[in-house]
Amino acid sequence: MSLTLFVLRRLGRGVLTIWFAVTVTFLLLRLLPGDPALAVASTNMTEEARAALLVQYGLDQPLPVQYVLYLGELLQGNLGTSFTQSVPVLDVLLHRLPWTLLLTFTALALTVVVGVPLGALAASAKGRTWDRVVQVVGVTGQSLFVPSVGIVLLFLFGLALGWFPIGGAYDQDVYGFEWYGSVLSHLVLPALSLTLVQLGPYVLTMRAALVDALGDDYVTLARANGLSPRRILWKHALRNALLPTTTLIGLQLGFLVGGAVLTETVFAYPGIGRGIYEAVTQLDFPVLQGAFLLLAVTVVAANMLTDIAYGFLDPRVKTS
Amino acid sequence: MKLRRLSLAATAAAGALALAACAPQAPSSDGEGSGAPAEAGDDTLTIATTTDVVNYNPLIGNSRSDYWVTNLMYPHLLSIADDGSKEASLATDWGYVDETTGFYEIRDDFTWSDGEPLTADDVAWTLNAVKQDAPAGTFYGQMGHVESAEAVSPTRVEVTLTEPDTSVIEEIGFWGNIVPQHVFEPAGSVAEFANDGEDGWVSAGPYVLTDVQAGQSYTLERTEEPYPLVEGGTPVPARVVYRVYPDVNTEILAQQSGEVDVIANALPPAQVEQLRSTEGIEVAEVPGLGYAHMVYNMDQPDLAKTEVRQALAHAADYETIREVVLQGQAVSTGSSPLMPVLSQYHDDSLTEYEFDPELSRSLMEDAGYEADADGMFPVTFRLLYSLQDSVTSQWAQLVKDSAAEAGIAIELEGLERNTYLARTDEGDYDIYAGNFAIMDDPVTNFTLSYLPGGAINYTHVDDPELNDLVAQAAVTADPDEKVALMQEAAALVHEQVYDNIMYTQNLYMAYSSDWDGFVVKPSELLSIVSAQSIASAHRVSGE
Repeated sequence: MSLTLFVLRRLGRGVLTIWFAVTVTFLLLRLLPGDPALAVASTNMTEEARAALLVQYGLDQPLPVQYVLYLGELLQGNLGTSFTQSVPVLDVLLHRLPWTLLLTFTALALTVVVGVPLGALAASAKGRTWDRVVQVVGVTGQSLFVPSVGIVLLFLFGLALGWFPIGGAYDQDVYGFEWYGSVLSHLVLPALSLTLVQLGPYVLTMRAALVDALGDDYVTLARANGLSPRRILWKHALRNALLPTTTLIGLQLGFLVGGAVLTETVFAYPGIGRGIYEAVTQLDFPVLQGAFLLLAVTVVAANMLTDIAYGFLDPRVKTS
Repeated sequence: MKLRRLSLAATAAAGALALAACAPQAPSSDGEGSGAPAEAGDDTLTIATTTDVVNYNPLIGNSRSDYWVTNLMYPHLLSIADDGSKEASLATDWGYVDETTGFYEIRDDFTWSDGEPLTADDVAWTLNAVKQDAPAGTFYGQMGHVESAEAVSPTRVEVTLTEPDTSVIEEIGFWGNIVPQHVFEPAGSVAEFANDGEDGWVSAGPYVLTDVQAGQSYTLERTEEPYPLVEGGTPVPARVVYRVYPDVNTEILAQQSGEVDVIANALPPAQVEQLRSTEGIEVAEVPGLGYAHMVYNMDQPDLAKTEVRQALAHAADYETIREVVLQGQAVSTGSSPLMPVLSQYHDDSLTEYEFDPELSRSLMEDAGYEADADGMFPVTFRLLYSLQDSVTSQWAQLVKDSAAEAGIAIELEGLERNTYLARTDEGDYDIYAGNFAIMDDPVTNFTLSYLPGGAINYTHVDDPELNDLVAQAAVTADPDEKVALMQEAAALVHEQVYDNIMYTQNLYMAYSSDWDGFVVKPSELLSIVSAQSIASAHRVSGE
């Protein structure tokens, strides 16, 4: 199979996945108890006023009609209008999406940059002290809860040491290059907490894959040919061991976005995760549908890139 | 090689310039507020809140942050005193011309930030637009008996009512914000106008919103126009920044680190003492105007029996709840919906239901129930509450335990908020537990809570005697007579346990000891962040 066909098939699968996510989100939201009018009702709202709100939201229409109208608008690039904010959903989301992407991709990059060498270190020192230390770190990381880690980091590095700000994505009244410094200083603690809780799977997967690879025949042959252990590890075994880790990146991205909801809440980070939480409490269907669509697109795109990268790393994938 | 280095350096420089261009640029110096008098302060007051602003249209607004931010721009006709009585604000005088005509006399020295005067036309237009367009929110809910409003002079508005109602003028005056007709009218329906500041905001308050960073901060600058409700006409802080910290623990850390000066929302009871003893932090006590309560659904046959409701009322240890869960930060209302804070209305002769399991058992037997060998009566009641309400979640467990002592089984149903609202709406509960933030007007409260068709009549009570008392009070102009009628109605609610009011919670707000001059108002909606309070706040070191 050519690379073009391989990419096209992945694209087609991605579009189908997004349509499925859109449909499931649409239906699930309407299965939730209560209705959006009730979620914003004041103590003195009359039945008539509530009914009028449902008409205003377009929720008086039968479900299939709502679905067709929604898909029709979606195909024209219109995500709708927020029930509670009366502004286009795209405006609501585009203010927040960049911060979530910055946070999640920074955390992902940090996780890979730290996790892969740690896993390699453990595999190369299999059974020795370093291996045990790294495994303990990996298992402990998997058991951490984002908000708990976040509060500890905030207390220690924000309040006690004063090294980093407590919340937000940047400081007020900071402009030009200083603004980037401010963004960076606000990013450190939330990215660190996400990295800490995500690190475990990468370290352990990398270690297991590399231990396997180091036992393969070609490694034995390389040793017999006199190649240095370092060259065998980093040049030959690591490339094969990267395949499961690459798969993990695609799989973990969804979890990373999920973790961002909690991280953004604890660190008062203005990302889309918090927007989702707020929209859930207000049953703001258009914002939720739009947010899940954007997240689905992000995750699908990342998975496609992973698949394509996989194809480059392992040529057998393209022909299978 | 040299050329390559040069091109690399040029690329790096271009990249740096591009990056710098992408970053926010410093505002020009001729922005809002630059024309403020020299004696005004230059300080920024930073206030923490847990929620974002959802809507900038105060006629729709439904979150506390909406209320706090828009209150700094859109004045209310009336304010409120600690005892729930109404005070002058934009309106200097108010009342009734006759049974079906109310009036407001307003100040003539309020000006919108674009230079337009705020007149009775704005007030009348706001009331009529709310009546016509029915925006979601408390304001429209108060308009049931309003037919229309008319500006009869530049400073006088007369309101025509569909039927006599002696509460409506004060309730509208307190709950409703006045918006600029010349901005809102061209936008169409006030029920759908986002007022998101596309062309900037227009304010008649002490501050005007100038910058929104969704999810992070809302910045308001002092207006150039005088603000008549603050001494000297010039608000002291030059700028107010609301910062959003969704997690209350993070919010408190931000207060401790000095990143914020004030926490707008009430502190959780467990944090009050700790913050009181923290150096550099002051804690203001704010009287609550609401209450926490349990309501017994009379559509349930067992709970339709007065003795069963009384048995349940005597099976809860209110004192322990207030001391343990609320850490002593709540007061008994004497189990009356006329709370002590409403000093004009409160009736000392009503006393709290005593926690007496034996009396409860006796009442259950009077109702015809017989306890089994384990001492339990053959009934189980489902107690519905919201899991998002941490205080209620805690005392619900205590209620269950104490009821068990009286032989009454209670099954706890803590639910996610929207499910809780849906179940409440459907009447699918035996006992409802919850709380109200502000019950400032007894007649309005009783109408909504105890009359048939009332939006929060969770008891589903329809008692002709009670209906009659409240209906009479609603049209009685004489204050003493009104109070007497409401006290009689409250006694009936107490005796029949149509509602079980458990406490009024005092509220505590943290602020930096670097600041002073706040004006404390009752309830969390106003607390120390009303427009008047913020405009009066000043740095201690600047004195």
